[in-house]
Amino acid sequence: MPKAVLVDLTKCIGCRSCMVACKQWNDLPAERQGFVNDWATPRDTTAETWTVVKYYIEDKGGRVVWRFVKRQCMHCVDPACVKACFAGALRKTPEGPVIQDPSRCIACLYCFNACPFQVPRYRTGGEGPVIMQKCRFCFDPGGIYDRVGQGQAPACVRACPGGALKFGEREALIKEAKERIAQNPGRYVNQVYGESEFGGTSWLYLSDVPFEELGFPSAARPAMLSLLTWTPLAAGLWLAAKEA
Amino acid sequence: MTNHFIDYKNSDVVMVIGANPAENHPQAMKWILRGKAERGTKLIVVDPRFTKTAAHADIYAPIRPGTDIAFLLGIINYALEHNLYFHDYVVNYTNASFLVDPNFKFEDGLFSGATTKDGQFVYDPTTWQYQKDKDGKIKRDPTLQDPNCVFQVLKRFVSRYDIKTVCRVTGTPEDVYRQVCELYCSTGRPDKAGNIVYAMGITQHTYGSQNVRAVAILQLLLGNIGIAGGGINAQRGESNVQGSTDMAMLYHLLPGYLSCPDATRHPTLKDYLEKETPKTSFWSNTPKFLISQLKAWFGAKATPENEFCYQWLPKLDGKEHSHMAIFQSMAEGKIKGFFAWGQNPAVGGPAAEPTRKAMEKLDWLVVVDLFETETAAFWRRPGADPRKIKTEVFFLPAAFSYEKEGTVSNSGRWIQYRWKAVDPPGDAKSDLWIVDRLFKAVREEYRKGGRFPEPILNMVWDYDAPGSEEPDINKVALEINGYEVDTGKPLPGFAKLTNTGSTACGCWIYAGYWYPDPDLGVVAAKRRDRTDKTGLGLYPKWSFAWPANRRIVYNRCSCDPSGRPWDPARALVYWDGSKWVTFDVPDFGAKDLATGAEIPPEKSAQNPFIMVPEGVGRLFGAQYGPRAAALKDGPLPEHYEPIESPVRNLMSKQQNNPLAKIYQGEGAARGKPEKYPYILTTHRLVEHYQSGAVTRNSPWLTELMPEMFVGISPRLAAKLGIKPGDRVVVLTARGKVYGRASVLPTLQPLKVDGKEVEVVALPWHWGYQGMAPGDSANVVTALFGDPNTFIPEYKALLCDVRKA
Repeated sequence: MPKAVLVDLTKCIGCRSCMVACKQWNDLPAERQGFVNDWATPRDTTAETWTVVKYYIEDKGGRVVWRFVKRQCMHCVDPACVKACFAGALRKTPEGPVIQDPSRCIACLYCFNACPFQVPRYRTGGEGPVIMQKCRFCFDPGGIYDRVGQGQAPACVRACPGGALKFGEREALIKEAKERIAQNPGRYVNQVYGESEFGGTSWLYLSDVPFEELGFPSAARPAMLSLLTWTPLAAGLWLAAKEA
Repeated sequence: MTNHFIDYKNSDVVMVIGANPAENHPQAMKWILRGKAERGTKLIVVDPRFTKTAAHADIYAPIRPGTDIAFLLGIINYALEHNLYFHDYVVNYTNASFLVDPNFKFEDGLFSGATTKDGQFVYDPTTWQYQKDKDGKIKRDPTLQDPNCVFQVLKRFVSRYDIKTVCRVTGTPEDVYRQVCELYCSTGRPDKAGNIVYAMGITQHTYGSQNVRAVAILQLLLGNIGIAGGGINAQRGESNVQGSTDMAMLYHLLPGYLSCPDATRHPTLKDYLEKETPKTSFWSNTPKFLISQLKAWFGAKATPENEFCYQWLPKLDGKEHSHMAIFQSMAEGKIKGFFAWGQNPAVGGPAAEPTRKAMEKLDWLVVVDLFETETAAFWRRPGADPRKIKTEVFFLPAAFSYEKEGTVSNSGRWIQYRWKAVDPPGDAKSDLWIVDRLFKAVREEYRKGGRFPEPILNMVWDYDAPGSEEPDINKVALEINGYEVDTGKPLPGFAKLTNTGSTACGCWIYAGYWYPDPDLGVVAAKRRDRTDKTGLGLYPKWSFAWPANRRIVYNRCSCDPSGRPWDPARALVYWDGSKWVTFDVPDFGAKDLATGAEIPPEKSAQNPFIMVPEGVGRLFGAQYGPRAAALKDGPLPEHYEPIESPVRNLMSKQQNNPLAKIYQGEGAARGKPEKYPYILTTHRLVEHYQSGAVTRNSPWLTELMPEMFVGISPRLAAKLGIKPGDRVVVLTARGKVYGRASVLPTLQPLKVDGKEVEVVALPWHWGYQGMAPGDSANVVTALFGDPNTFIPEYKALLCDVRKA
């Protein structure tokens, strides 16, 4: 049964414990991104910052709305990045996570172009080759960073003090999300983001503010997806021809 | 806290005023959110800034810094005017019916008794007393009609705080303020619980104690004390600051909140006990607490014949020696040596630059910390000339909280044992190790001779653990808990303490925390049982809550005088007709200690507030003998302007608290609004802890919050031509600090008496050390303090801002 995480944005307090827990568990270094006006530095995910909490602060005619939105790889049900990766470095696991074999990554940027959420990022500094790195959902079968494979919640979920993150089976979490909407009239917008968006994702969101106002891409673009699927195929053929 | 963190989930309305749990107490916010999700708890957030907590509020009420008393008295006035107070609770469990001296007056912003002593303004509190009959009993009027009864005195006093006036003072929009009054006063019913959460936004003012009094009066009027989901819940500023105050890391106390002996008032043990022991209330046991403490410290040497070694205790000289006073004395060269132990006054104290300069007068300074803090490095701070500073600085590396074992007491008074996770690195040692070696070294010196060696040479200091370099923490814990002197057996609780010398106890309120639980086989502080019979989250066998493992204090008030719970769904204790049913440890006489017989409810209904001599909650803070002195600045809270304010006091011609403590020197310079037109306030951030001594040395946390910044409103930014991220300078009469401009709609100008007032907000976590240095906000704060606690004014000052 595929795993998932339900993020209830009405419960996030913006403490960013999830960000620190992620770096701690995955031995990721700190980066210097400098001051940003709304305090939410680092602003975006990078090869060494796999999750960020983005702040949305808006003055709606004298009433201020401030929401905290955790972003990371969405671990799509049918991931475009996997289709785009002609090197075979990415794969979708039956457990849900989309994980990577770094030794096969050739830094072609195809996954970056394919991802509707612009998640994959490339490690350019330091030692070793340039490779893509992203959130692996704390799933590292046989590796030292595995949590989900050991029956544990991801590090970010474990660290969340506000109860905003819940780890479980995807089907059960979708059911629970719908129950929360039904049982709390007026509390949420009537949408479980990730249930069907872009073919469905393993990270699911509930919110009281419309998702498009919080930076979530609003609709699937099937035409573009198929194009993106075909492009790497073509590229692969081209590479194969070149090698021959 | 009267209640505890988990209990927040039981509230119908939570009003957060002067606190920001989402940022500063995330684990507390969890329980507010639990209440919102599970029972529809409404959240009111009162703050000058739209905070992360406000992001979750049902009502956000902006307030001008330093006007909490006006805000709270306005709600009190609203409750009284609209009969929304909890009548039966007020009549039975507060001093509402007590008659006050008819000569008590309040005129022109001053209480009766204003006079001068040694050229200083003081109050003579003679008229702040109750009327007594021939037998010495307090006169009462249970109908609450007598014009001199507390209820009527209070009603007249707060009648000036109508909504319009309050909003002119506080800058809160009237419609928002009215909603706050309506929603919060809806908890003045038996089946509703209202919880007030506060922190440093309430206390750090020149009238901080009166702010707290205003909170207490409101909660008593609405019947919100002693019930689940209610209470006055002060969120402490550090994980174990509750424990450190319990253990008297304050100059005016001994452990367990016993008064520190004062040579001018208590030359003998007899004097101390006579002056500090009230005839009624639980404090009438003071002799048992103090004598057991002396036995714990001086052992067999302490006997009735030698005042239990009382003369070996250090005593006060009748003067004030709080934080700011210590640094004033240091600046005057009166203090030669100083320990900064887990404290970083060069960043955390007010008027940081004079603080750093004062340390130049020291012969020696010992800093015990994890990293070389700004205090440890004060001699090479920017602008200082190390060649001219003679202070010898010793740095002792300390173990972090997860590198040692011991208890941590949280704001809810739960004393939880924490086990060691990892060994400390390098030469770092636990505080216990350091203090143990230090004491032994000092004792060694005294063995060679000294001015007054007896207390040092005779103190019980026997914590060695054979075969271990670390002292035996069990021995320390047992001494704090208390034991029978003859057998050495731990005491189950403070009820067993005596004044004869047969018991020893280092801190009476902790008695029982180190007593083995018969079912779980561990001492109480190590319990981790998750049983919660009531569903109210009392968890009676999870750790130990002082006093007596009581989770909600004053819980007699959760029932009516006949012992029926006001709200059966939130019952903590109740009388079933023949006996008390207790889910929480009763905070009253439920059983006769000698016979075990049940004590009927009528008796405890007389004194449900067992810690005050009147036995009832104090709407009027009367002058009433030992441990019940009125606050120095009045029996009722009155609004005064902060020492630095952009406006005239609208409530009276008395501009400031006449007793506000203003210290000496450049740190106490006062700025005028003509030169410093904006209100300055300080705050914290979730990413950093206190002075940043640890967090600014943690790469992952400095990554999240790398630089000092200055919060200003979009309107002020536009007016001054400041863009987000610009380098700006904040100036006050004390100095200036630089930072990046953070321009967000979370700050908005307030309309105060028709005039727009801007608030500038500074986080105070930065300093010149660590991997993310920056200017310290406290360079621009001031040496102004509260006359009762001497806490500094950190929250309402004046400044100017410019593009740097």
